[in-house]
Amino acid sequence: MNRLVVVAEMTMRELLRRRGVLLLLLLMPLTFYLIRRDAYLGQSVRSLLLGVGWAVSTAALFATTAAREVEPRLRLAGYRPHHLYLGRVLGLWTVGLVISVPFFLLPMIDGADLRYGGLAAALLCSVAVAAPFGMLIGALLPREMEGTLLLLTVVTVQMLIDPAGSGAKLTPFWSTREIATWAVDHTDQGYLSRGVLHGLAVTALLVVGVAAVVSVRLRRRRHLRHLPVG
Amino acid sequence: MNADDWLRALTTELHQRRVAADAARHVVAEAATHLREGGGDPWVVFGPPQQYAVAVVESIGTAPGPRPGPVRLHAAGITKRYGRQTVLNDATLTVRAGQIAAVIGANGCGKSTFLRICAGLMSPDAGEVTVSGRLGYCPQSGGTADFLLADEHFVLVGAAQGVARGPARRAGRAAARQLGWEAGGDVQARHLSGGTRQKLNLTMSTLSTPDVLLLDEPYQGFDQGTYVNFWDQLSRLRDTGAAIVVVTHLLNHLDRVDIVLDLTPAQVSGRQAPSVQGGHR
Amino acid sequence: MDSDRRGQWLRGVLDICVLALLSEGESYGYQLAQALDAAGVGPIQGGTLYPVLLRLQKTGLVTAQWREGSAGPARKYYRLTDDGYAALRAGGSSWLTFVRPVNDIVTKGVTR
Repeated sequence: MNRLVVVAEMTMRELLRRRGVLLLLLLMPLTFYLIRRDAYLGQSVRSLLLGVGWAVSTAALFATTAAREVEPRLRLAGYRPHHLYLGRVLGLWTVGLVISVPFFLLPMIDGADLRYGGLAAALLCSVAVAAPFGMLIGALLPREMEGTLLLLTVVTVQMLIDPAGSGAKLTPFWSTREIATWAVDHTDQGYLSRGVLHGLAVTALLVVGVAAVVSVRLRRRRHLRHLPVG
Repeated sequence: MNADDWLRALTTELHQRRVAADAARHVVAEAATHLREGGGDPWVVFGPPQQYAVAVVESIGTAPGPRPGPVRLHAAGITKRYGRQTVLNDATLTVRAGQIAAVIGANGCGKSTFLRICAGLMSPDAGEVTVSGRLGYCPQSGGTADFLLADEHFVLVGAAQGVARGPARRAGRAAARQLGWEAGGDVQARHLSGGTRQKLNLTMSTLSTPDVLLLDEPYQGFDQGTYVNFWDQLSRLRDTGAAIVVVTHLLNHLDRVDIVLDLTPAQVSGRQAPSVQGGHR
Repeated sequence: MDSDRRGQWLRGVLDICVLALLSEGESYGYQLAQALDAAGVGPIQGGTLYPVLLRLQKTGLVTAQWREGSAGPARKYYRLTDDGYAALRAGGSSWLTFVRPVNDIVTKGVTR
């Protein structure tokens, strides 16, 4: 347990020290919100949520790429793979929650007529999915550049795709969108429950994916035999 | 260089030549007494510290090193290919507790690959590695987290073994001091100089008191003094029973190792160091 | 005299000289060096003398003990052992056996 906490803590410390990157990441949801502000509130809030998802997944990507060379030695030092990826995802979720707070307050101050419980749920979903999503991309792609471009593509697709279309459910942030619709357009409960279910499923799937990649990468190699000191 | 400096240099030389600590103390004290009574320049009276140390060793020999203990690392028949190019061909190395092995060879002959295979970070195409006890590994570079402080690195590594924060920090700082570095500052790793970052790297690998320590040219960017401290540190770790493997392309310290593995192609073989100082075999 | 050559000669016989001096009683390094110099052998540097003393100690021909002198710092006093006396007798007489003919030859050559 302590090992998880320490990894989570160090992930947070690292992230919070990248002030420039963090600021730029936070700027994105804000501009998304402000650009759509005059037209239609629903679009504005959806953009905001997507922006938070993008910011958190990019942060997760950076954290994962940065840790790539350190993790093998931490493994040797005595961590199990699950300490490393669970600790990291915990740290990222915490950071994500913290940066969500101003974006929760933003529409409130703006006087938007929303189901705020829905907004909170959508933000939670966004953060929950984004952290393992960014980590998975970071684990699969060798460099930050490629990862960032891929994330950008995903977010753009997410923004442009018709949420009612059959393919939309395959996009990672579909849950956020469904819950946002419930919160903004005051639609029926089905949107909320569908969204929450999708969010939970995608999060679980992504965490399992990260676990698989990290466990394979940091596996005990078959040629190496460990004996206790006798 | 005044008499005190000369005596200090002599102490170091005797230590490096593995003269028993007791005997070395007597030799230095006697030289000091002589210089006090007779005066004179130690460089004339005794000659260069190095030369006098050699004469002392010829007279009284060296301390029998701690007998090498049980086998800690055994790498047998390690073969690795990248595509059609064979980088390692049937490389074999056995290191016992209390021994230092140097892995040498030309650039690109697979020294780092061999070490990574021994650490289990990479799979060979053939061969097996057996490690007894805890493993420590120091990569050539990049084993540190850019945005963390040195102390945070120590906490991170310590937690892996269930060491609490305070003790982990203290242990890390003490180990760093052995390399002549005060690690307690609030400087992020990315702002450390190359040599200092390597000290952090190295300190991290020794922190978990490994039984087998694998070091991949860990001294890049070290100045001369640190480099000497580094070898002293290795000697200390060896004397406490660690089995150490150092990848190196600098051959001027091979007299301080027990085993040399030359990975230069066509003569891949594990042979005993030709000039092992002080019966340490 | 050519000091290089003197050094070479001395190397072969310094241990016997030291044993001989110690047979008169215990002594320490600096005093031995002074005694050798006073006897006319020439200045002996610490770098030459102490390794010899260390070897004699290691082979058990002398014992050593750190002690405060009557006035002055602690010194390492050397004392001949029984083995040391025996080595002095054996080594000393073979040295004499060696130098006697050498002296004869050289004397004849020089005075001719």
